[in-house]
Amino acid sequence: MSSDITGRVNRRTLLTVVGGSGIAGLSGCVGFGGDGEGGDGGDGSGSDDGDGSGSDDGNGGSDDGGPDTIVFGQPGAQTGSFDFLQPGVSQAADAAVRHINEAGGPLGAELELVRRDTAVDPQEARTVTTQLVENDDAAAIVGLFSSEINPLWDFLQDLQTPVVTPWPGSTFLDTRGGDKGTPDDVSDDEWVWRTVVGDTVHTGGSAVYALEEGFETLGIINGNTEGERSYVDGFLSVYEENGGTVAERVEVELGSSSYQSALSRLFDAEFDAFLVSMPQESAITALSDWSDGGYGRQPILSDTLAQQAVIDQVGSDLHGAWAASPGRSGPSYDTFESIYLEEGDAEINGWTPPSWDAVQVTALAIERAGEATPEAIQRNLGPVSRGEGTTVSTFAEGKEALANGEEITYEGAATPVDFTEHGNVFGSVTISTAEEGGFVETTEVPAEDVREYVAEGEY
Amino acid sequence: MGLLQELIFGLVTGSYIAIAAIGFTLIYGIVNMINFAYGEYLTLGAFIGFLAANALPGPLPVAVVAAMIGGGIVSIVLARGFFTPINNTGPVPMLLTSIGLGIALRNAIRLVGGRSARYFETETSTFRFDAIPDLAVGPVDLLGGVFVTSEHLIVIGSAVAVFVAIHALLTRTDVGIAMRAMGDDESLARVRGIDTQLIRDSVWVLAGVLAGLAGVLMAVQTNVSADTGFSHILQILSAAILGGAGSPYGAILGAYVIGIVLAVSTAFLPSSMTGLSSAAAFVILIAVLLVKPSGIAGTEVREA
Repeated sequence: MSSDITGRVNRRTLLTVVGGSGIAGLSGCVGFGGDGEGGDGGDGSGSDDGDGSGSDDGNGGSDDGGPDTIVFGQPGAQTGSFDFLQPGVSQAADAAVRHINEAGGPLGAELELVRRDTAVDPQEARTVTTQLVENDDAAAIVGLFSSEINPLWDFLQDLQTPVVTPWPGSTFLDTRGGDKGTPDDVSDDEWVWRTVVGDTVHTGGSAVYALEEGFETLGIINGNTEGERSYVDGFLSVYEENGGTVAERVEVELGSSSYQSALSRLFDAEFDAFLVSMPQESAITALSDWSDGGYGRQPILSDTLAQQAVIDQVGSDLHGAWAASPGRSGPSYDTFESIYLEEGDAEINGWTPPSWDAVQVTALAIERAGEATPEAIQRNLGPVSRGEGTTVSTFAEGKEALANGEEITYEGAATPVDFTEHGNVFGSVTISTAEEGGFVETTEVPAEDVREYVAEGEY
Repeated sequence: MGLLQELIFGLVTGSYIAIAAIGFTLIYGIVNMINFAYGEYLTLGAFIGFLAANALPGPLPVAVVAAMIGGGIVSIVLARGFFTPINNTGPVPMLLTSIGLGIALRNAIRLVGGRSARYFETETSTFRFDAIPDLAVGPVDLLGGVFVTSEHLIVIGSAVAVFVAIHALLTRTDVGIAMRAMGDDESLARVRGIDTQLIRDSVWVLAGVLAGLAGVLMAVQTNVSADTGFSHILQILSAAILGGAGSPYGAILGAYVIGIVLAVSTAFLPSSMTGLSSAAAFVILIAVLLVKPSGIAGTEVREA
């Protein structure tokens, strides 16, 4: 007969094994900063060390009384639904840091970038942002997604550290953020700026293009997260205002094993084209189901879906689908591209040039301010980006002009980076169409055309 | 499309869940623990299958078999390492250990496997049956043209094969009969001379094999990533509880109820609520448990 006790194990041994395993597991959750998620081609001069060590001497003094090191914190999507976009964003930030340091650094200090993974999880983003500010002494934050900023809005305002981010498209930020046109008065400021055009702008461009192409009735399938809803809302605000109608809208949970039921419901309606706004992995499942079901009609994709992997997995049925993305060709794009390509081989995506711009404009704000405090950066982001000063396309040019006593206006790689009173930027919209070899840029909707559809003061 | 098409979609979703839920509920019924790490068993199965598909010659079924064998080995190794030593501490310590193990495995997979989703290279054929006439009852069409894909047929076929094999195992083999005996009364089974540890090990292997199969099937439909199994663990758990925790037949029934409710609710809920189809499935779960706490199949719900 078998014994009741199936195997005697020393209690201390068991606890040691379980505890050790728990610690090993949790270490994966907590992460080891950027190095732990390395291999993204983004560990160049930006010192992707994420271990907080870089800030030790942040308050030290250089020969001229300024800091030896200035730290920017970069919450990143090194894991999670948008991790495929992070390599380009990391490489752009690292290239910008290297360029700035080669030009002498802001206030003569060494600029250091500390990157930590949030997995685009709001709670993790709150922890990471706190660590960056409190432990790493980051003077500014050059990251955070819509899905993180919106629920953490009050927290970020209380933090009073400027967030200059290349990620968020959310319409939530259309009238939130920036210096409200009064750079010297921070009492009315909101501490978020974005160097990427908002959903209102590029979804507006997408909507304008859809109407121009004769797609007057639309079906919509979107994920049930803030980012996906915001994209669709931005699209519809322009689309419906200009005569378009929505026949059916289906909202789905992300990560499902099948979207056939949602698709069958959607395609029961009559429409000319359908808009897909979902993260890449869920979108591939949904579009594969769409292809298998032979539903047909014209797909319009959200900006994050203009990726080779989407075509590879869905197949030739997707050819002809198009996506509108923030334009990549700001006034200083060529300058950015040449420096970027020296840094590594990560693919450039719609958020790559804005990442470069975020680091550049923040460093210029420090240079103009003459100090690297969060409030000084906040006061100077507006003045270095808008106005009638000398046009500069890099930190090096800006540092030289400021040293000559000139005012400057930074012209970016993604957009002209003329921050509106709400900390937003306008830029062109690129239409990319899926073809055999990938997404090919087919049309560009100029920033001026899109601007017509955005009310003054509402962005 | 009509209700018939939605039922087909529900059957496919239910089949994924059912294969996994059988393994989950066997562990519950015989080892007497809720294994929250079971989602990661599916993920490991998906990764093993993916590696096998790229490393081994031959068609996808070879990778499926490799995933099932690998899943069984992983399951027994993990059980021997983490659960067998605490068999006698009761269900709560084992539950907590499984939660910790799940977190550890998920992050280990993420660290080792990387962050990118991977995809099986498969070709899908679609079969249409457009000649089926409409049968409208009010605004709902009960019949109408339907389609099924080769993936649908493989998933449903795999599930049916698993059901037959599990039924045969539980009713026709000594090991299966011993499993049922242990599920009813472990002490009595031991008195009758059953080697309970051997049966436990058999259950762990069987649950791992099923997790490997379910993991590959889910990954073929979606992708292979660190969250492949974890994203379905609530549905698997719900199916097991809905059907009657510990009962494989109940788990099958519960899985199809959840699959069909997910499909039908997406199709017929108001537009603004379609993103809440999972919530509809859980409402059904709560409603059933309020009326029949032991679940549909009526198996005793153990303490946990």
